[in-house]
Amino acid sequence: MMAIRELKVCLLGDTGVGKSSIVCRFVQDHFDHNISPTIGASFMTKTVPCGNELHKFLIWDTAGQERFHSLAPMYYRGSAAAVIVYDITKQDSFHTLKKWVKELKEHGPENIVMAIAGNKCDLSDIREVPLKDAKEYAESIGALVVETSAKNAINIEELFQGISRQIPPLDPHENGNSGGIKLGNQSLQAGRRCC
Amino acid sequence: MCSSEETDLLRLEEVFSTTLARTISLILQPLLLADPEPSDPCGKECLRLLQQLHESAQRLWDVTEQSLLSLRQRLYHPPSMSLEAVLLLNNADYVLQAHMEYIKSYTDCLVVQAFQKVSKKRSEFWRSQRKALRQLLSSGSSEGSVGTTLCQALRQPLAHHVQKYVLLLLSLRDTLDEHHPAQQLVMHAVTLFGNLQSFMQQALDQAMATQALWHSLSSRLRDVLCTPTHRLLQDSQDIPVVVTPLRAERVLLFDDTLVLLQGHNVHTFDLKLVWVDPSQDKCVLHILTPEDEFSFCTRDPQGQVVWQWKVTQAVCQALCGKKDFPVLGSGREPSVPPECRCLAYTFHREGRLYQATYDGEWSRAKPHGKGTLKWPDGRNHVGDFYQGLEHGFGICLVPQASEDKFDCYKCHWREGRMCEYGICEYGTDEVYKGYFQAGVRHGFGVLDSAPQAPQPFRYTGHWERGQRSGYGIEEDRDRGERYIGMWQADQRHGPGIVVTQAGVCYQGTFQGDKMAGPGILLCEDDSLYEGTFTRELTLLGKGKVTFPNGFTLEGSFCSGTDKGLYTQGVLDTTALPPNPSSTRKRQLGLGAFPVESRWQGVYSPFRDFLRLGCPGELQEALLGFHVQSSRELRKSQEYLCCERSHPKDCVGSMEDILKELLQHRKPKALQQYLRKVRHPCGLSWIQLLQTLMLTFQATYSGIGANKHLQAMAQEEVKQHARELWAAYRGLLKVALLRQGQTLEEESMETRDLQVHGLLLPLLLPSFYSELFTLYLLLHEREDGLYSRGIANLSLFPDTKLLEFLDVQKHLWPLKDLRLTSNQRYSLVRDKCFLSATECLQKIITTVDPREKLEVLEKTYGEIEATVSRVLGREYKLPMDDLLPLLIYVVSRARIQHLGAEIHLIRDMMDPIHTGGLHDFLLTALESCYEHIQKEDMRLHHLPGHWDARELW
Ligand SMILES: Nc1nc2c(ncn2[C@@H]2O[C@H](COP(=O)(O)OP(=O)(O)O)[C@@H](O)[C@H]2O)c(=O)[nH]1
Ligand SMILES: [Mg+2]
Repeated sequence: MMAIRELKVCLLGDTGVGKSSIVCRFVQDHFDHNISPTIGASFMTKTVPCGNELHKFLIWDTAGQERFHSLAPMYYRGSAAAVIVYDITKQDSFHTLKKWVKELKEHGPENIVMAIAGNKCDLSDIREVPLKDAKEYAESIGALVVETSAKNAINIEELFQGISRQIPPLDPHENGNSGGIKLGNQSLQAGRRCC
Repeated sequence: MCSSEETDLLRLEEVFSTTLARTISLILQPLLLADPEPSDPCGKECLRLLQQLHESAQRLWDVTEQSLLSLRQRLYHPPSMSLEAVLLLNNADYVLQAHMEYIKSYTDCLVVQAFQKVSKKRSEFWRSQRKALRQLLSSGSSEGSVGTTLCQALRQPLAHHVQKYVLLLLSLRDTLDEHHPAQQLVMHAVTLFGNLQSFMQQALDQAMATQALWHSLSSRLRDVLCTPTHRLLQDSQDIPVVVTPLRAERVLLFDDTLVLLQGHNVHTFDLKLVWVDPSQDKCVLHILTPEDEFSFCTRDPQGQVVWQWKVTQAVCQALCGKKDFPVLGSGREPSVPPECRCLAYTFHREGRLYQATYDGEWSRAKPHGKGTLKWPDGRNHVGDFYQGLEHGFGICLVPQASEDKFDCYKCHWREGRMCEYGICEYGTDEVYKGYFQAGVRHGFGVLDSAPQAPQPFRYTGHWERGQRSGYGIEEDRDRGERYIGMWQADQRHGPGIVVTQAGVCYQGTFQGDKMAGPGILLCEDDSLYEGTFTRELTLLGKGKVTFPNGFTLEGSFCSGTDKGLYTQGVLDTTALPPNPSSTRKRQLGLGAFPVESRWQGVYSPFRDFLRLGCPGELQEALLGFHVQSSRELRKSQEYLCCERSHPKDCVGSMEDILKELLQHRKPKALQQYLRKVRHPCGLSWIQLLQTLMLTFQATYSGIGANKHLQAMAQEEVKQHARELWAAYRGLLKVALLRQGQTLEEESMETRDLQVHGLLLPLLLPSFYSELFTLYLLLHEREDGLYSRGIANLSLFPDTKLLEFLDVQKHLWPLKDLRLTSNQRYSLVRDKCFLSATECLQKIITTVDPREKLEVLEKTYGEIEATVSRVLGREYKLPMDDLLPLLIYVVSRARIQHLGAEIHLIRDMMDPIHTGGLHDFLLTALESCYEHIQKEDMRLHHLPGHWDARELW
């Protein structure tokens, strides 16, 4: 039996950049046997194989409204990865993204994998953010970056595969366990900060 | 028609009756008159014995007359009386009894030579009577002393008579055909009277031997030993024995005692308390008595056999209380004396039991079984004994110097000392309930001072060799303080916490009952003191104070003569408000008292119980018992049968409990089963749970309800769940083992799952009120802000609130509202998302974190269902929409202390859910809670302002 690892992933980014759309595309546009019952479109899961492990993504949506920003730490605590989304047609959204990255660096869990998604790449004719900018920025912070289109299903799979690859494989000793190993436990401790 | 045999029988009875009448008038009555008012004790004794003989003779005569009467009736009116109705046949035992009584009285007189003694008094008279006496004797009248003649005259007719009885009855039987109804009765009578002959012979032999014995003893010994009831059964002069380690020149076995003679010393042992033990050596016999053990060594094995048989039979006969019939060793009782006997005995050797009386069950010459031991000083132990020592449950009363006061120990004992669980109520009104070892407090226990003591206290914790030691809680009611921490040699020693009535919380290190070194102190107002403190908890010397606003004061402190704290130091007013986790929400005791070892003393007796395979008889000793209003019981006489939860029942039911356990292994069944068995005697781990509740209350209720202890309490509850799960598994293992099966190992994951899924929900109700109070206190401030937030939001009508929260208009459930004529939205409240609101409110109706999370899940479902209804299609809410709606529902549900609820759920939630749906749901709820606390929710947009503006 393959070990299942649960990976909490939180979505960050301005309202309207396509966070929910990306998750919907990722979770529902595929063989449906892995789809779990979800709460609305706010919490979804999907399991994908990665090497000799199975990665179960527990995807937490966040409210993008400005006034809820201060609640975000509750959502990203204990996350193994964060998907930070901007809209390539909106310079502002890229600016917001930078603010999220900064916040995660300061307050987020240690070793959180950051993946930057430049969404709506199908609208590249009205692009405001050059891919080069994004790539340079991502490199500077050691994050993954990919341009996606939830609408046309471009690079969505790749985005999550990229995250999977960034997750360090399990300690071979611990792997002997029959059941799965929960990442949640270790990240919980990292995330138990007072608020 | 009557046979000639019957006629002969009648004749016989006539002769005997006449003889008896003459014996009475010629011998017995004159004997009684010989010395009617003796002055010496010996004379009195003789007179008493003769009176007794006279009575017996009278009675025998009466019975003979009755027999005669029935025979006459049979003879003269055969139809009125069948053969089998004749007294002699119909009630042979009755007739026999009269004979035996006579024999006893007669031999008693014989033993003390009563006839010889008395006849001397009126020798003239007897000489004149000699002729008449001779007539009473059948043939060959002996020419002896008067005494001897009397002896014979009182015995011979009886012997003859019985002999004739047997002969006549035998020939009577021959006349009856096999099916005659009297056949059996006749045979019975033949046997009886045949036996009576043997009995009489033995009685006479024993009496003669005994009488002869007195002559061979010194007068001193004779005075001690000579009594009319004594019968000598064996004498070491006949079969010699060497006694070790006691010394004895001569050993005499009487029918009631075993006597060792050495010089002038007489050592007497009551046969009822003698146990005989054959040994490997064929010539040795061990004798066990309560205070002595010795061996008889005979010359040859035959000698040993005789002595062993004689002593054994004598013991049997003594225990039986009447003479074996017809001869020694042929009694109806089994010829092996019972191991276990019930008797009273007073010890007279110096030592622990000096002058104490034991009344109860014995085995092998030791108190063994149930009994009462009473000392002359009033000490009194009632309970179980084992090989001479208190062992098992027992109640011991120890009187105190002042009258009417005594210490009462209701305990389990082992080898004479208190061990395992017990309750002790002292004369001082102090009460200890807990474990003992070797007679002193050891393990877990609770000590309560007398209620009226000048410094009332309660200690709940661990003991070692009679002293407080290890983790323990002591409440000092006088000072209004509670110490939570480590003890050594009856003193606070090591890390400790002091909480006070005033809400002050101190943590530091103690040494020899005093605070030592630096500590921290948290005040009710959330200021933090660091430094060294006095007993009165005031800073002394170098220290630092951090005020709730962040100001700090650093310097040297001392307390002045009048009240107040003096310092010379620096006040820093530039600092930011302090980190709540180091002041306001600081948690104490976490590293200092590792949760795994905190209550070892409570768990370990249970572990012992499991290790021993759940012996039902040890359940109470190891897990404690429950006494109802022991004080009242003690006053009444029945205090001895202390109302425990019937340990006997437990013994029987342990088997059943374990069997039932096996039948309820499936999760659902198990849960129901564990829930159901809330009987103190039922599942033994319920007892464990009760003790844990006690410790929990002792720590966290009352003064201990302090927010800085929340984390300690929380981890303790979880630890209890883990331990109780282990306890359940242990019981299961034992149950399976008894069926020859083994318990499969369980992975850490399944264990965590069971602990959180099954045990915590089961346990939480027991700890909930204390635990929740701590959460409540810890989150008081946030809950206050939140309350103001929802109070404020509650002023909004539904639509205004939806608008205020920026809920997208198309999601508003307007159909649920009545619209006013001019299309303005009405002021209707609490109509929108009513189903979701009501659902969420159910969160406080359960203590089970999992159920609470399920309520939450349903609430989200209700919100989504409402939105889907409004939109007329299925709609999956993204977070952008969900969060405002959830805030709306939360504000309408008006759940009190939501912060405390959320944190308790999170702490008790199964870690398996981390990152999952339930975690997400809870986080969303928590974020709503946070949001409602925000300033703009509490202060701005007061509906009063726009109400007036927009509506009117
Ligand atoms: N053209 C285009 N539109 C998109 C794409 N992804 C999302 N959208 C649209 O962008 C809007 C906002 O998307 P949503 O997923 O709700 O963004 P969120 O607020 O970040 O969750 C919707 O109208 C989507 O149809 C995309 O890849 N291409
Ligand atoms: Mg969205």
